[in-house]
This record gives sequence, structure tokens and C-alpha cells, in this order.
Amino acid sequence: MRDELIEILEGLGYTAQLQGSLAKDEPCPAAFFTFWNDDTPGAAFYDDDARRFEHEFTVYFYATDPVLVAEMMSRVRQALRAAGWIVQGKGYDVPVDQPTHTGRAIDVIGIEKN
Amino acid sequence: MAKAKNTFTLDTAPLEGLVQKILDLDGDAREAVESALEQAAETISDDTLDAIAPGNLPAQGRYSTGATEASVLRDQKVRWTGTNAWIPVGFDFTMPGAGGYLITGTPKMAPVAQLRKMYKQKRYMADIQKDITDVLEDALIRAMEEG
Repeated sequence: MRDELIEILEGLGYTAQLQGSLAKDEPCPAAFFTFWNDDTPGAAFYDDDARRFEHEFTVYFYATDPVLVAEMMSRVRQALRAAGWIVQGKGYDVPVDQPTHTGRAIDVIGIEKN
Repeated sequence: MAKAKNTFTLDTAPLEGLVQKILDLDGDAREAVESALEQAAETISDDTLDAIAPGNLPAQGRYSTGATEASVLRDQKVRWTGTNAWIPVGFDFTMPGAGGYLITGTPKMAPVAQLRKMYKQKRYMADIQKDITDVLEDALIRAMEEG
């Protein structure tokens, strides 16, 4: 699911990498995605085994252009829903430690059938 | 768990029916509801402080000034909005050094795993909610017996 998420996000035209993986001395790209897997619980149990797994991710988008940041979560929502992901809400602001960037995040779930 | 303007809040909104029943039976039962929430909030405070112990922070807390610890909410009082009781928990995000970055992470800093488990995963808060429900169900049984 992680690879699928990266593919969908990068299909929107910006790189996607794990939250926290940018090197300290590396400059931030002008606009980019990061993501973090919060949990992957099993669900729909039958015969003591999960019939599916719910990959819970937070997707972040950071950019120097606040207008782009504001509109990106709608595009993420549309692209992920088209691929069968569950998208919770329309996103929320997140703090950024780069004075040049602003950021928003959205919680999404990818369903993997077992 | 709801997110208020400058903090997270723990509330009894999902248990509205149970709270209403307790209050109908015993008008003085507000204290039992408040006690359940205050106990839960204390658990969250203790777990939050454990989660930001130096060993769990980026660079083993070498750059920690203590400001994050100071922003952890403790000894909060329950507020009521109608029959919904609520209490602020977690961090006071108006204070410098509050744990916002530690929960969300940044492009150059991974989130603190233990905080993430508490504030992003459903399981931790579901367990807290279950503890509150158990205490309130006990209060309901007591109120029924006394009534």
C-alpha cells in the first residue's frame, strides 16, 4: 500500500517521501509530499485471521506557495478516492519548521485484502 | 478525542445517553462523571510525560529545553456544556515548545512514535474511552441501587 500511495501522490507531480527522511542539511524542495504510516490494524476477522488490513497513513504536503498548499488536499482526496482509498475529511494545517513553507495534512486509509 | 483551538479535549459526547441516565437518577452524580474524566486525563498526562522522556525525543533529548514538558496539561478541571462533560488533555499549544512538532513530525524530523500512538492511533484513545465507560457504568449501577 505504501508503494501505491507513493505512486498516486507522485502522479500529482510532486515527490513523496517518509516524514522525517529529509537530511538536516538538505534544502526542502519548493513543494513536496511526505507520509507516515500510523497503524495497520487487521479487520473483518474470520477463523481467527484478519480478512483485510487497514493501512492508516497521514499524508502531508508542504510548499512555499500557500495557495498550492490550500488546494492540494482536494486533489489528494480526489486521486486517492478514485483508487479506492478512504479519505477522512479535507485535511488540517500542520506546523512546519521551515519559515519558507506552509503545510497541510490529511488522514487516509488503504484497504488491503488478505 | 476532539481538537479544541489550542489543545486536545477528552469528552463524554459519545456517552451522552449514559451520562444523561446517571444524571436523571442522581442529580448529584456530576462528581462521578467529573472524576472519571479527571482520572482519564491524569493517565493521558502521565503517558504523555513518559512519551517525551529524553530517550524518546530526537537526538535523545539533547536539544530539549524542558519547554515541551512544561506545556503538558496537568490538573485540569472538567467543564460542562449541557450534559457533555469535557476536559483539556495533552499539550497547551499556546506555549512555546509545545509538542505539535513531536506529534506531526516535520520533513526533517520523524514524529515521536509513542506520542503518535497516543494522539493518532485509535487504539489508545479507545482504551481510555473504555475506562471512562466502565467507571460511568459503575456510577449508573450505584445510582440505580441508591434510587
